[in-house]
Amino acid sequence: MPPKTPNALLHGALDALILKTLTKGPNHGYAIAKFIEETTEEAVLVEEGSLYPALYRLERRGWVDAEWGTSELGRRAKLYRLTEAGRHQLAAETATWRRFSTGISKVLFSR
Amino acid sequence: MKRSLRSWLWRVPIDQEIDEELELHIEMRTRELIDRGMDRKTAREVALSRLGDIATLKRTMTDLGRKRDRDMRLTLWLEELADDLKFAFRQLKASPSFTLVATLTLALGIGANSAIFALVDATVLRPLPYGNPDRLVALWENSTTIDRSYVSPLNMLDWLARGQSFEKIAGFAPGVGGMVMAGLDGNAETVSRQWVTAEIFDVLGVKPIAGRTFTREEDVKRSNVIVMSEGFWRTRFNADPSVIGRELRLDGSLWTVVGILPRDFQLLGDTSLWAMRPITNLNPRARGAYILQVVGRLKPGVSIKAAEADLAAVAGALSGEYPQTNRGRGVAIQPLHDSLIGRDLRFTSMLFLGVVGFVLLICCANVANLLLARATVRKRELAVRSALGAGRRRIVRQLLTESLVLSFVGGAMGVAIGAAILRVAPSLIPEGLLPATVALSFDIRVVAFCAVTAFLVGLIFGVVPAWKATDFSSAEVLGSDSRTMTRTGGRLRGLLVVGEIATAVLLLFGAGLLLRTLLAVDAFDRGYRAESVLSMLVDPLGSKYPTPASLQQFFDEVEAEVAAVPGVASVGWAESLPLDFFDAGGLSFEIVGDPPVDQSQRPTTEYQIVSPTYFSTLDLPILSGRVFDKTDTRDSVPVCIVNEAFARSLRGRDPIGLKVALRPAGSPEAKPSVREIIGIARQVKGRPDEIKDFVQVYVPMAQDLSDDMFLVVRPKSGRAEALAPSIRAAISRVDTEQLVSVRDVMTLEDIARTATSRHRFRAVMVVAFAALALVLALVGVVGILAYSVQQHVRDFGVRRALGATTSDVIRLVMTDAARVVAAGTVIGLALSAASGRLIQTLLFGVSPLDLQTFAMVTIVLAVTAAVAIVGPAWHATRIDPATALRNT
Repeated sequence: MPPKTPNALLHGALDALILKTLTKGPNHGYAIAKFIEETTEEAVLVEEGSLYPALYRLERRGWVDAEWGTSELGRRAKLYRLTEAGRHQLAAETATWRRFSTGISKVLFSR
Repeated sequence: MKRSLRSWLWRVPIDQEIDEELELHIEMRTRELIDRGMDRKTAREVALSRLGDIATLKRTMTDLGRKRDRDMRLTLWLEELADDLKFAFRQLKASPSFTLVATLTLALGIGANSAIFALVDATVLRPLPYGNPDRLVALWENSTTIDRSYVSPLNMLDWLARGQSFEKIAGFAPGVGGMVMAGLDGNAETVSRQWVTAEIFDVLGVKPIAGRTFTREEDVKRSNVIVMSEGFWRTRFNADPSVIGRELRLDGSLWTVVGILPRDFQLLGDTSLWAMRPITNLNPRARGAYILQVVGRLKPGVSIKAAEADLAAVAGALSGEYPQTNRGRGVAIQPLHDSLIGRDLRFTSMLFLGVVGFVLLICCANVANLLLARATVRKRELAVRSALGAGRRRIVRQLLTESLVLSFVGGAMGVAIGAAILRVAPSLIPEGLLPATVALSFDIRVVAFCAVTAFLVGLIFGVVPAWKATDFSSAEVLGSDSRTMTRTGGRLRGLLVVGEIATAVLLLFGAGLLLRTLLAVDAFDRGYRAESVLSMLVDPLGSKYPTPASLQQFFDEVEAEVAAVPGVASVGWAESLPLDFFDAGGLSFEIVGDPPVDQSQRPTTEYQIVSPTYFSTLDLPILSGRVFDKTDTRDSVPVCIVNEAFARSLRGRDPIGLKVALRPAGSPEAKPSVREIIGIARQVKGRPDEIKDFVQVYVPMAQDLSDDMFLVVRPKSGRAEALAPSIRAAISRVDTEQLVSVRDVMTLEDIARTATSRHRFRAVMVVAFAALALVLALVGVVGILAYSVQQHVRDFGVRRALGATTSDVIRLVMTDAARVVAAGTVIGLALSAASGRLIQTLLFGVSPLDLQTFAMVTIVLAVTAAVAIVGPAWHATRIDPATALRNT
């Protein structure tokens, strides 16, 4: 994996968060945004303008899949679902994050 | 699973997809904010603002969405293709005999086409293998009576010097001669040699692989220099580089080898050596020597038309300066490619391509037939797939994949067949049919041709059966008996076979016409009666015989020496040979004492110098008057013998005793030579396929001698060629210093055969393809008959049970076959009648509407079709009523 610049890392972070959210089952864009906000206690503010392009990119890569379903409002909603390839990708992203955060923590929390 | 979801999604246009998705998001956010106590209007504004600039967002999403869809379509397409291919191979493996027959049929068709494509590619499509070939042209002289004559070297030099259009002009002798190479191992041998002017290789842009080509200085100094072909250099000198600069003794003189030319380079004719013929400071008399085939390289941007106008002005000036030789002579220019390949050969290539194209169509029809038969059998399988939800397009695509797989397997085998044909082709194609510049080769272009053909063929024979096979309402098919569904398929298959028969008839008819042409050309009356005559060109070189008298003496001595050779019955001399006449343009003539005729209206005649013994050697009858004899000498009255066509042109007057005034055609003011007609000789053929008898005068060699003459020898018995060694020995006894080149040793029959080789080649090829077409078409007939017998087993069974006899059953099958064959034949004959004229230029001695050929084709077809249907008919008679009724 090529070394990541902080930007790319954030980019990848959003991807990873989306994928992680979808492990709980298929969901639509708003629900994904909401879930991230709530789970991270709004420490990570999802830029809503970048959420949807990210979803489309993930779809193109084949990491998520989409179908039409019904939302809580009874309206037609595009539901995203994690694919097998997405699951693998999430595992890889998670491992990267772990290495990264462990490394940073070691430095920041050392005496 | 993935696929069905996506295909569902695609039905929503991308804009709508995005709008709906974002609207839902905004609506839900708005509701959330209202729940927190905002009023609706503010809530919506906040929700919108949190998404940023909506327009930009939508644009980004649309863009990404499009890319996503494109990728997915491709993935899906590839996945389906892989599935289809897997399935197709499984299907084909499941019915090996069908697969084998279909691929073999296609392989034959595509293989034959690829070989012919190579010929067309070499003769029509491919540019000449020279640098900037589009600027290369052939130049000819012309006059009021001759369209194209070879060129005098002095005129060629003036065209270059005075004209503005050409970078370079050079020439070569149109024929390939021989040189006696003396010495290396004590034995002299004759090596093929072509005369060229110094700059010919520069004009063509040919680079030597070793050494150099000729220089201008060598032309000025009149050096004896030669270049050698790579092939000769490798075989004769073991590719020894020290050959360059070495001197070889050729025809008695020393010649320096200056370079080696690459293997694939040839001009017209196939030669080992190119010897430089100097053209600087020639004797002014050379202006009348039309000996060169001239090639020019146009300056960039100059068109042939412009060059023609330019040289017309030069030729005009020259005819003023040299009226004797140049009056009325102009210049004709054509692309070098056209000139080297020739109309006839290009037409022949295209004819072959058309013929094999038809053969391929028949192959397609046969395979389509097989597929249709299979489709009927598979109808249930397809109906099940359809019932399970596969769309018609999807199933058609599956079936098309199968036919494309078939055609590509067939195509791959066709490539192999084509390669094999091209490997043996050079030994099958008559020598001299293809110019040496044309090389038949198996290369990537041929493979590409096969690939494209296979693809098109797969589509052609696949589409209709696939479409028909999927034309069902599933319920009907699943519920019904398979026997009832063959009706429409059967009619289509019948039509296909009718088409095949019609095509085969068309090809057979063409083949018949070409065969009749060949027979006519072979069986024509040559005019002379000798069975076997050996001929060779005797060319005394150098300056050993400077005067006509000494030359005459040499020829006389050779004649006496050869006549004394045991086994020789008769010996004569001739300037040219029957069937091998070169169209030199001839002479114009007038009968002395007749009212003067305007110069452009004067008739022309061929002019042949012969010895008195020529007529007896060829057993060529003198019909009246006398033959030349010893009393006709340089100092006696000039005489000539005319042929029958000449005599006829006098419209009833007895030619004998008349005086004829002869002038070079195109030099109407030249001083005529006047000769008295002393005899009439029987008409001989100048060319095997001449349409009109040509007019000819014979002149005794004692009164007008040519520098080189053909020796003709008739043996007492047996084959003439057996005499060749002893005749050569006899000549060298006269020519003790070995200064005479003896070459072009062949019999007159050889010449006749060479002259007819084009006709033979064409006829053999077209007959072979037509036979192939006939066999394939009959395979088609047998195919549908066998199938229909099989489908009607119960029918036949019932008839037998009701008392039908064997002959009744046979009649039933025959009627089916006869209808198809008869319809095909009638259509084929009608097509033949309509299109026979297309090949009229290739025919000789037979009309394009030849009744005998029509009859022959009909008989061939009737007989072969009768043979072909024996199998199915026999099968039908063997049907046992009991079994048939029980089993179906």
